[in-house]
Amino acid sequence: MATNSVHPLHADIASIVGEPNVSDNPVIISAYSRDACHLTAERPAIVVMPRSVEEVQAIVKLCAERGTPIVPAGGRNGICGACLPRTDNAVMLDLVKMDRIVKLDEDVMTVTVEAGLRWAELIHRLDERGYKLGFRGPYGGNVGTVGGSVSINSIGYAASKYGPSPENFVSLEVVLADGRVLRTGTGWNPDAQLFGRYSTYNDLTGLFLGDHGTLGVKTKVTLKVYPKATHITYGDFGFKTLENAVAAFHEVQKRGLTEELNLLADRQSTDTFFPGFLDSHPEIHSMFASIVQETDEVLAKRKMEIIREIAFAHGGKDLGNFASQMHWRELFNLVQPLYNNGFWLNTCHLRPIPTIPKLMKGVWAIFERHKLLKNGIKWIASCLGSERTYATGWVTIFVPTKDKMDLGLRAWNEMLDTVIATGGCPYWNGLLWEKRALAKTRSEFMDTYWAVKKALDPRGVFSPMVFTGGD
Amino acid sequence: MELKNLAKYQEELFLCGRCGDCSLADKTVASDRDVFHPCAVKNVLGFEAYASRGRIMVMNDLLSGDLEINQDVVDWAYTCTTCKNCQETCTATAEGIHLPDMIEALRKDLVLNGFEMPKHVEVEQSVINYANPYKEPAESRLSLFGDRVWPETAEVVYFVGCTSAYREQEIARTTVDLLTKIGVDFTVLPDERCCGSVLLRLGRTKSFAALTEHNIAAVKRAGAKKLVTACAGCFRTWKVDVKKQGYDYPFEVLHITEYLDQLIQEGRASFASDVPLRVTYHDPCHLGRHAEVYEAPRRVIQSVGNVQLVEMETNKRYAHCCGAGGGVKNSHGRLSEQIASDRIAEAEATGATVLVTACPFCHRGLTDGAKLKKSSLTILDLPTFLLPSYKGAGTRHSATASTLKSTFMEYLRQHPRIFEGLKKEAVIDYEVEGERFHVLVTGKNTIEVVPVRAENPDVELTFSPGAVRKLVAFEREDDYAHQFGLFFKEPTHDEWIRFVLRLNIVKLLMKGYRRFAQKAGLI
Repeated sequence: MATNSVHPLHADIASIVGEPNVSDNPVIISAYSRDACHLTAERPAIVVMPRSVEEVQAIVKLCAERGTPIVPAGGRNGICGACLPRTDNAVMLDLVKMDRIVKLDEDVMTVTVEAGLRWAELIHRLDERGYKLGFRGPYGGNVGTVGGSVSINSIGYAASKYGPSPENFVSLEVVLADGRVLRTGTGWNPDAQLFGRYSTYNDLTGLFLGDHGTLGVKTKVTLKVYPKATHITYGDFGFKTLENAVAAFHEVQKRGLTEELNLLADRQSTDTFFPGFLDSHPEIHSMFASIVQETDEVLAKRKMEIIREIAFAHGGKDLGNFASQMHWRELFNLVQPLYNNGFWLNTCHLRPIPTIPKLMKGVWAIFERHKLLKNGIKWIASCLGSERTYATGWVTIFVPTKDKMDLGLRAWNEMLDTVIATGGCPYWNGLLWEKRALAKTRSEFMDTYWAVKKALDPRGVFSPMVFTGGD
Repeated sequence: MELKNLAKYQEELFLCGRCGDCSLADKTVASDRDVFHPCAVKNVLGFEAYASRGRIMVMNDLLSGDLEINQDVVDWAYTCTTCKNCQETCTATAEGIHLPDMIEALRKDLVLNGFEMPKHVEVEQSVINYANPYKEPAESRLSLFGDRVWPETAEVVYFVGCTSAYREQEIARTTVDLLTKIGVDFTVLPDERCCGSVLLRLGRTKSFAALTEHNIAAVKRAGAKKLVTACAGCFRTWKVDVKKQGYDYPFEVLHITEYLDQLIQEGRASFASDVPLRVTYHDPCHLGRHAEVYEAPRRVIQSVGNVQLVEMETNKRYAHCCGAGGGVKNSHGRLSEQIASDRIAEAEATGATVLVTACPFCHRGLTDGAKLKKSSLTILDLPTFLLPSYKGAGTRHSATASTLKSTFMEYLRQHPRIFEGLKKEAVIDYEVEGERFHVLVTGKNTIEVVPVRAENPDVELTFSPGAVRKLVAFEREDDYAHQFGLFFKEPTHDEWIRFVLRLNIVKLLMKGYRRFAQKAGLI
């Protein structure tokens, strides 16, 4: 039942990847009709699971010759509709069969992997060899692929120190629209190891980071690795006001004290994350949870002491470390249990830490106006420290039943407006953010992007209509 | 077209977050669970449509009318083994999305709407006409036992099951030989009928009630206190489905692995292999995930002298399916064999020479998978594996070798208020010095402390010996709780506890763990 062979490229693609790895059967296609968000677009016309860069090259060449659109979809674990086709007849590349570790280069501390490898698998394999990654994958990294994160700038574990995913890549292998294979960073030199992103020429790696698959198909990625750090300390700190919590959180980030996690949340969010956690602390209205990882035990302990001192200096209360320990133990399963509260509508974006109270006042007003809690709609309004002085803002509401979806969508759309109005910058785009982002984007920025797109993909084969508005 | 059975799951279908863990989640980093690419069907067929996330999207499309129901849908619907690994992996709802139930509901609807798999029509007709799915004459069911005369009544009824009676007869023979050698007072039903499992799995349920009523009456006539089956399919049907359909029965239902475990613990049987053996165990889905029996078969294997049990990469709650369940063997034979072949590869990777399972379907499926893979692995059902190793009565097992474990168990028995607030049937597993026991909450402030590992605990706690020594010195439960919390929050090299939450937080709270955690000062 793998196929019904009506797509014009079916036979040709089957000759490249083998019959079992291609299907245009509507039942199979149905399963590729959405990603992990509620948004919908066109369905792919045919789905292919290539196993090598050579197969990807051959598919791309074929599609370019025929003018057939291609949508690279990674593991299809995105939550913004970025990997859904915008045009009919598209060929979707499900890349999860390209999941090998190509090389761990201990001389230059990088690892090169195929783009369809999942973060959890990569972490596990590196751990066995005594290494860790910098950025360690998005929430949902059991399934989220490394290549998918590259393409949509994902953020998550260890971003508090290492920043979002793209900060951690030194080189990419990309199949271009004419079928040629580009290697970026030190990869320009076939005799060189893959160790540097910025080398000799300008940064072509960066060109493809966050491109949402519009400029090429990433087939391999090279990331920095670090020695495994086995000493971990945890701390949870509560505050009477959001402002105090934010000030302490900001200070911790500026001083670069946390590695694995620095997570800020309001009271209701804490209750959604972890029901009952603040029951014994009625005066607490905001909290943050920190996790430090170091190769040295004394250093790990001392860093947590300093974080505690900072929290106390801002009127914080020591809440122990159960929440941060549970967070760590749940790792990539942190977000999934939140679905217990319903299907989520999120507003993921980046913002300077001092602007968090302004955002929160805006979204609290929306929650109040729509009586979300009375309608059974819970939220997490939380921020994860990123690199130094900015954070991701995750204001996410959970719609418990289908009949509450309209109400949820009304509140959610207002939340998106508030995020943009308070200076938030979405780190991904997709159907979720595209219209709002475009409405604000300077024309010089988009003109330059389209010039690059035209140069690299003159027939517009890769993910057509992406970055044009979302419909 | 009306999909009235599937429509009951509309709200739950809405709740699937499409995270994809149900097919691609990795082991180790996922909350210390041993998940690894859970969907055995997707592992062979590749496309998302064959894993839970994709199946849910397809079912939503069927309900909304965006996808037309045709023979392709029918073919697809019968590619799921309903092994439940996806549900076990899923953390989107307290119990995980009930994909196996949804698939069975859809299959019912397909049948109601006249969509047939010709082979399934034959199976149903056979059950109706012959009381078994194999078109074998009902009166020949017990002929495999020769002219043995069975008592009319006995303490135990061995429910043979159709597959053991007609296809995997060695399992039935060795089960009977084993029970006879041990000296069990048992019989078989002279007019046993199919348990109905196959009908439920295929969505053809109209004859199920008649079969069940007949079988319950027959066991009652035999006056049995226990019904024992060596078939995981029969066991799940008796233990789970019959009750779910609203039937009650005045006897205990045990799988042969559980019953043998009891007999070994009681000292009524012992086993030792004549040669050293490295053995691995495959968890049948209907015994494991569907009925939560994981430890008993392992205890039985581990009790056999000269035998070393080694685990496959996926095991217990997250064990990969053999591919033979859910009607897949019948309707998609090649797929079933490929899935089994993958499982054989896992078994071979352990270095074991014997693969033991505890279900005739798994035995058949794995044997076919081994043929496909040209594997030389020996595949045996548990009674068949045990029979040559039988050494007569043994000694009663105390299962409390460690003094510290005994002390800790006794302490907890004396202090049931430690578990105040936990709901009935809450289960906590304890480990100290490598030995396990568990506490089962039986009522308000009443507990049972059982000297073996729990089948499917809510929480697993591991204590350092130093921590246990300090805890058992407290007279007051509040002091115990306070120290318990400190060991977690401020562990030292010698005094620490660790825990793994086996259920998601919402479900734990529903079972009363909030108070437990509050008393410990954790929240």
